[in-house]
Amino acid sequence: MKRLLREPLLHFLLLGAVLFAAHGILSRGSISEPGRIVVTQGQIESMALLYARTWQRAPTEAELLGLIRNHVREEVLYREGLALGLDRDDPIIRRRVGQKLEFISENAEAAEPSDGDLQAYLDLHPAVFAAEPRFTFRHIYLDPRRHEKTLAADAGRMLNELNSRGSSLDASSLGDPTTLPLDFDKAAASRVKNTLGIQFAKALAGIAPGPWTGPVESGYGMHLVQVSERTEPRVPALAEAREAVKREWQLARRIAASEKSYQNLLQRYTVTIERPGLAREERP
Amino acid sequence: MAQGQSAVGTLDDAGKMDKATAERVFPSKPIYSPYAGRKFPTRPLFGDTHLHTAASFDAGAFGARLGARDAYRFARGEEVTASSGQPAKLSRPLDFLVVADHSDNMGVFPDLFAGKPEILADPTGRKWYQMIMGGKGADAALEMIMSFSAGTFPKPLTYAPDTRAYKAAWQDNVAAAEQYNEPGRFTALIGYEWTSNTGGNNLHRNVIFRDNGDRANQIVPFTTMAPLGSDNPRDLWKWMAAYEQKTGGSALAIAHNGNLSNGRMFPIIESFTGKPVDKEYAEQRAKWERLYEATQTKGDGEAHPVLSPNDEFANFERWDFGNLDASVAKTKDMLEFEYARSGLKNGLKLEQQLGTNPYKFGMVGSSDAHTGLAAMEEDNFFGKTTPQEPSPERLTATFVENPKTGIKVMDWQVSSSGYAAVWATENTRESIWDAMQRRETYATTGSRMAVRFFGGWDFDKADAQTRSPAMAGYAKGVPMGGDLSRAPAGKAPSFLVAALKDPLGGNLDRIQVVKGWMDAKGELQEKVYDVVWSGDRKPSADGKLPSVGNTVDVANAIWTNAIGAPELIAVWSDPNFNAAERAFYYVRVLEIPTPRWTAYDAKRFGSKPLPNTQMTVTERAYTSPIWYTPG
Repeated sequence: MKRLLREPLLHFLLLGAVLFAAHGILSRGSISEPGRIVVTQGQIESMALLYARTWQRAPTEAELLGLIRNHVREEVLYREGLALGLDRDDPIIRRRVGQKLEFISENAEAAEPSDGDLQAYLDLHPAVFAAEPRFTFRHIYLDPRRHEKTLAADAGRMLNELNSRGSSLDASSLGDPTTLPLDFDKAAASRVKNTLGIQFAKALAGIAPGPWTGPVESGYGMHLVQVSERTEPRVPALAEAREAVKREWQLARRIAASEKSYQNLLQRYTVTIERPGLAREERP
Repeated sequence: MAQGQSAVGTLDDAGKMDKATAERVFPSKPIYSPYAGRKFPTRPLFGDTHLHTAASFDAGAFGARLGARDAYRFARGEEVTASSGQPAKLSRPLDFLVVADHSDNMGVFPDLFAGKPEILADPTGRKWYQMIMGGKGADAALEMIMSFSAGTFPKPLTYAPDTRAYKAAWQDNVAAAEQYNEPGRFTALIGYEWTSNTGGNNLHRNVIFRDNGDRANQIVPFTTMAPLGSDNPRDLWKWMAAYEQKTGGSALAIAHNGNLSNGRMFPIIESFTGKPVDKEYAEQRAKWERLYEATQTKGDGEAHPVLSPNDEFANFERWDFGNLDASVAKTKDMLEFEYARSGLKNGLKLEQQLGTNPYKFGMVGSSDAHTGLAAMEEDNFFGKTTPQEPSPERLTATFVENPKTGIKVMDWQVSSSGYAAVWATENTRESIWDAMQRRETYATTGSRMAVRFFGGWDFDKADAQTRSPAMAGYAKGVPMGGDLSRAPAGKAPSFLVAALKDPLGGNLDRIQVVKGWMDAKGELQEKVYDVVWSGDRKPSADGKLPSVGNTVDVANAIWTNAIGAPELIAVWSDPNFNAAERAFYYVRVLEIPTPRWTAYDAKRFGSKPLPNTQMTVTERAYTSPIWYTPG
């Protein structure tokens, strides 16, 4: 079954069917006779269904008659408007019809990827699926407004103390009061960026686990930092990221299908752009 | 159990926040480790509850080509190509996003859905049709492909073009949300916009579901067009009730742009009946609409200078020319029923008359961008619509012009605002929705500052010295969106407020508390208190705090954080409290002035702004209120 779905010939046939059908839409005139409106049983049923999906109950007789009357009114106005050519040169209608056609061709692809397809996609786009680097670290905050000109000296003194007295010193009692979180446990890089800013996150990426270091600047002020653990970005195995890879693979397919169907449609036209300097066959 | 059963129903995620609940949720038993057993939200999640993609009729017509999947990828921090062809990327990922496409004309309903007679006449076609209507579109599509390749595709259907397009736009949006929702990392909430706009008067609401696709696919979004839809919010509430009853799910609605409703957003007299709002309206609105979008691209909706003449910061990103299509000009008498602050005040009066406060809403900001790009930072603003994406022309182009009224709004007046901040315990659909339902949210104009606000009876100065105000906040009081009542004899409520600047943004100027109350005569009053501010400024004799200053170099679109403070924290007690009077309190945080998007445009494109173009901006946040009700 899965193999069948990946069969290029099938895709070709399907696409052909879509294009043939699209051709049908584009070239077929109105199927109903002029001057006669028939509201079919099927249409009435679909109105009733739509009503039920909106209101979670079937329409009453009066409500259904209202839906039908509204449909007839719309049909009359629509046909008269078409007869006057009011649909032509209307950018909104042009875009809408084009959008519908694109929607059809995008949805023509319901294929399931194989493991091989997904692995190939993952190999091509490792950065998209890479797990973020994570950091376990502590920091001590120095508020520049409290240290005016002595900030660098104060930071240096504190750093010496921290690294010489080691674990006997309670780091959480040092530094200036702040509501910033002081301990980060396996925090993703994006989380660090969101909390302490891009500048700090960049500096942190260059700090190896070990002693207290700094000062590191952020939008809040200065920080002394001690990294205890870091994990580097890593491309996951397919099993770990299967859903995400499948999602992106399907999106890529969808975009490719839309583009392919456009290119196929374009083949049926000779495009001439009357502008000096452009080659006669120059494609848009 | 289904949530939202009643405005004060029991919620299973600490939805109704009073002191007893807080103690149940965050036991204040002494434990050695200050970080053990913490269940309260520790950081705000930032997102956009109001983003349109190409599936929105108007966005598509304006030329937007990005769909829901592009919108999610962008919000998650990936680089995408905007409809105008330029690469776009956020400075930092957002935590959540609601793609809220307009329900009207969302359609693109395939013919199969429309039940074409030749399809329904065929037994196989009928079967597929029923599968699609039953939410099994993908299975139907698979069957179609199988039968097509096996050569058993029913002949009458071979020429029915749209049998291949098995999905409606709504189901496609739901599918996209399902694909991009990653609990713990990024939340894609399912929702849509119900765009009631009769006569050009904006009564729009965004409907947001707590639920997954299995429930959302059982329904079609409510539209505004009769006979199936309606432009009356009461009918939307009925639709939401029917949804909850049918599926067992939960939905809430967030209104926006009262400034374009011409006096209809927070009515005393209902525009649909011409009669005063009644008990049923108050109860239903209070039940379904627990948040309001107070700031977005089409202007700020917190306060208006005519209504708040003593508030020097009320005149912010003002859009008060008329209604949405500029067909009717604004008159002063409309303003009272359009802005969040006056709506909150009128709610107190209506509560006394009707027993329920219809306007007991919290605050969020969002974009309402029609580009698929939730890009609301001043230096990275991708506009409201596709023609407004960055270009040398957008400083001088016209946004909307109505020749009948002569009203003209320029592109430069569009605001690069805003985001919704939510204090949720986890980054999941359920947790974010529950936080919205209990109103533990605040609005920002695009900044990502972290704002805390707690009210109670026992906060003291020592609580402002703590490094984790939330622990004291939840243990001693209620957070933003909560309720206080039964004042202890002789006590005034005290509030713990804290704000931490956006690490990439401007420093903070001040934190204010905005109080609204109904006095003994039944008159509505308001007052803005400066609670804590940067530097050693002293209020002058008239009580006004001197300006923080301005470091913006407009020509180069730069500023320095030489003024203001990176964070502010204080405990404030209401000096004018009267235990017999209904009141609400909310917090407004102001940043120092920074360059507006127009300044970045002028610098980067070298275009010359029109005279009077606003070139700086004072970014801000508005929290949900805490209400005091005499008990």
